[in-house]
Amino acid sequence: LDFTKRNTLMQLDELWAAQKSAVLKGDKKSAADLAAKALEMDADLLECIERGFGAGIREVGDLWEAGDYFLPELVQGAEAMKAGMAVMAVIQPALKARQQDRKLEGTVVIGTLAGDIHDIGKTLVATFLEANGFKVFDLGKDVPIEKFIDTAERESADLLCLSALLTTTMTGQARLIETLQEKGLRDRFAVMIGGAPVSADYAAKIGADAYGANAVDALNEALRLMERS
Amino acid sequence: MTRQGLLDLLKTRVVLLDGGMGTALMKAGLQPGTPGELWNLENPDAVRGVHAAYFEAGSDVAQTNTFGGNPERLKSYGLSDRFEEINAAAVRLAREAAGPDRLVAGNIGPSGKFLPPVGDAVPEALEEGYAAQAEVLARSGADYIAVETMMDLKEALLALLGVRRGAPDRPVSMCMVFEKKKRGFFSPMGDKPGDAARALADEGADLVGANCSMGSAQMREMAASMVLEGGAPAVMKPNAGLPETVGAQTVYRQAPEDFAADVLAMTEAGARVVGGCCGTDERFIAALHRALGRPTS
Repeated sequence: LDFTKRNTLMQLDELWAAQKSAVLKGDKKSAADLAAKALEMDADLLECIERGFGAGIREVGDLWEAGDYFLPELVQGAEAMKAGMAVMAVIQPALKARQQDRKLEGTVVIGTLAGDIHDIGKTLVATFLEANGFKVFDLGKDVPIEKFIDTAERESADLLCLSALLTTTMTGQARLIETLQEKGLRDRFAVMIGGAPVSADYAAKIGADAYGANAVDALNEALRLMERS
Repeated sequence: MTRQGLLDLLKTRVVLLDGGMGTALMKAGLQPGTPGELWNLENPDAVRGVHAAYFEAGSDVAQTNTFGGNPERLKSYGLSDRFEEINAAAVRLAREAAGPDRLVAGNIGPSGKFLPPVGDAVPEALEEGYAAQAEVLARSGADYIAVETMMDLKEALLALLGVRRGAPDRPVSMCMVFEKKKRGFFSPMGDKPGDAARALADEGADLVGANCSMGSAQMREMAASMVLEGGAPAVMKPNAGLPETVGAQTVYRQAPEDFAADVLAMTEAGARVVGGCCGTDERFIAALHRALGRPTS
């Protein structure tokens, strides 16, 4: 079992390419193995995220936008990426220390509104944001408005991402913005909304700062909002 | 209604469905976060009123207020123990509005779960849920079963199996959602409309089609691809364009006449069962009724 020897022979760009490919293929096991390999090689983990796994998930997003990939490939890609990240998080203290060096794009609180049990789109947005340098607090689905606001205050979030997949829950997005106004917190957080029944027009009308049409679009919008602030 | 009865009716004319239910109930005061299906028990007049308005506008069919009435969805609202009651009441309300001469379709929506690799739903459990809901809807008097908003052909096929088991003597309508991508129309899982229609018809669906997700202008572009030569008649149920908001209300700005013109074009492409999904109200159905050249009652 001469792993070490083989690993040191593996060039970094080969490692990144393999990590990217694992995400493109949605291969969780291989992604986890390649994350372990990065640890063995003492490779720069943030570089692995950016040039390996993250590059993979960005390409998955591009392929989805083009209509070459569909929801199964998108979800499997995100899961492979998460599997890799989970292995590297074993040495999280080190990773966290390094995070200081890495440019943190912003802190995001994300979730699907109360009454709505859909969370695939939201989870994909969370993965894309995480892969691109955001610190993400994913509250899951069926989240009450108060919990969004409490978490955002506690974590000093920059951005709130609200997903609604039903015409009957999208009005919760408007109510959350109203609640922020009532509490005098509206200026503290940027708000992005998304979900099948939602549109850019709806976002503008309820006073949201951005609308994410899909996971890739949401990432671009989040980066734009961070630049502005 | 028998399978043959429905097919015979479709030979003589296009069947006009109704419009949106969830958006109509919200207009009547349903609060966000409350499942609309609960109103079958707690505000029956409102639900019956929506059906009555659609019949007034010219609908041939009322679709029951049971889109989220499957066991999985009700469980997420803590309403599991009221599953049978909610579904039975919905059929009763639709029948009260329909009378003996018009049709009641027992509406079934997606489980909200996803099959692997996207989610971890167990196929047998999904099929069982569809069978259970179809059984209650049929026993309560639905003329046929209308499954809608399926995102995954695999789940749609399981739903079809379940419905045929739960309601073996009722015709089944199967509708999926599609999106326009750069390379054409696909379901979110990548199923093509024509392939999905054929697969569902091969497994015994009596009607196949598309609903929700798109406005009428886009769905019009794909209508022909779901019309099977000599096969199951096609159903088309688009949304009323994209939603906007005024105050706390969600509104759809598309003109009913534009919607009706698009849907009329779908019937010219071969669709035999048409209606509206999210955002369509009785004005849209009335406009469609006029566009189809039906006499006003």
